[in-house]
Amino acid sequence: MSVATFAAALLNPAAPCPSGLVTWNGSDAAQRFGVYRNNVTVSLIEALADSFPIVQQLVGDAFFRAMAGEFARQSPPTSPVLAWYGDAFADFVAAFPPVAGVPYLADVARLEYARVLAFHAADADPVPVAEIAACLNDADALPALRLQLHPSLQVIDSPFAITSLWGAHQGSGDLADIDPAQPECALVLRHGLSVEVMAVPAAAGRFIDALQAGASLGDAVQQASDGDTHFDPTPVLGLLISRELLIGLGRKNQQQGEKS
Amino acid sequence: MSQNNTSRHVSAAALALALGAALTVAASPVMAADAAKEKCYGVAMKGKNDCKAGAGTSCAGTSVRDYQGNAWNYVPAGTCEKTASPTSATGMGQLKEFKEKKA
Repeated sequence: MSVATFAAALLNPAAPCPSGLVTWNGSDAAQRFGVYRNNVTVSLIEALADSFPIVQQLVGDAFFRAMAGEFARQSPPTSPVLAWYGDAFADFVAAFPPVAGVPYLADVARLEYARVLAFHAADADPVPVAEIAACLNDADALPALRLQLHPSLQVIDSPFAITSLWGAHQGSGDLADIDPAQPECALVLRHGLSVEVMAVPAAAGRFIDALQAGASLGDAVQQASDGDTHFDPTPVLGLLISRELLIGLGRKNQQQGEKS
Repeated sequence: MSQNNTSRHVSAAALALALGAALTVAASPVMAADAAKEKCYGVAMKGKNDCKAGAGTSCAGTSVRDYQGNAWNYVPAGTCEKTASPTSATGMGQLKEFKEKKA
C-alpha cells in the first residue's frame, strides 16, 4: 500500500479499507480506518465552518456540512496551515449546482475568506500623518506619487449586496430589508487587531485596485473616474489615512518600498 | 521638484485639494485610535480575544471559551474593571490574567 492509496481512501467513503493495515491489539482494521476517515472529513468541515460562518447561516447547518464535505473530498488541504483551508471554497460554491438558486453565496464566501486573510495578514507600520501632509508642499509631484497599501486591504466588487447580507448576520440591519441583487463593493481591512468590513462606491474600489496594481495616484484617480465621472478621491483617501492603511509613499520611478 | 504631466487628466491641484481634505476627514478618527487602551483579561468571547490565550493556543482570535481568564482584549482605559466577566472572582474584567471560577 502506498501513501497515495492511503490518502485517496481517506477522502473517499466508498473506498475499501487499504490492504496491509494492522492494529496493535488485533481489532478490526477496517473499522478503525473508518473512524479515522470520518474524523479527517469532520475536522475539515469544522475548519470550513469556522472560516465561513455566514455562508453556513445562509444555507443552514445540514446543507453546509454536506456541501463542505463534498468540497473536502474534492479539494483536500494543500497547506498544513488549516487557517488557509478554503481559499478555493468560493469558486467551488459558485460552481456547485445545488446552490444555483443562491447566486450571492459564492461572493459572501469570498468576503468571509478575505476576512481570514486580513486577520492573518502581516503587520505594517503606517506612514506618519505628518509625512502624508508634507506631500502637500510639493503638489506638482502628487500625480506621480505611489501609495503602498496595507497587506490586509482587499476589494471585493460583487453584483450582489454582500456587505449588507454579511452585516445583517452581525446584528446590523435587517435581512428582510436587503435586496440581494443590489451590487456592492466590499472593502475588507484590518485596523490594529480588528478586521473591518464596509461597503464603498465601486469607483473607490477601482481606485484601490489601481493603487494595488502599482498605478500612481494620478493614474488611479483617472482609472476610477473612467466609470464614474463624479468620483471624488477624498472619502477613500480619508479612509486609507484614518484606518492607517498607507504604509509607504514613493515617487513614480522608485521602488515601491522594501515590503512590497 | 516639478514634473511634466501634460498627458494626465487629473490635475495636481485637484489631488492636493483631495489629499488636504482627506487629512482633515481622517484627523479625528486617528486621534480616537490613539486614545489610551488597556489590556483587559476575562472579557473576550471565545475566538474574539486580541492576543495571548495561553498554552496550546498562540495569538489573537484563538481563545476557546467565553470570558477565558488568560485571554485579553484591548478596551478603552478605565473601563476594564467595569466590564462584567462571569468567570472572574470580582465579577468584572481584570488587568492581570486570572484563574477562572465556574461561570
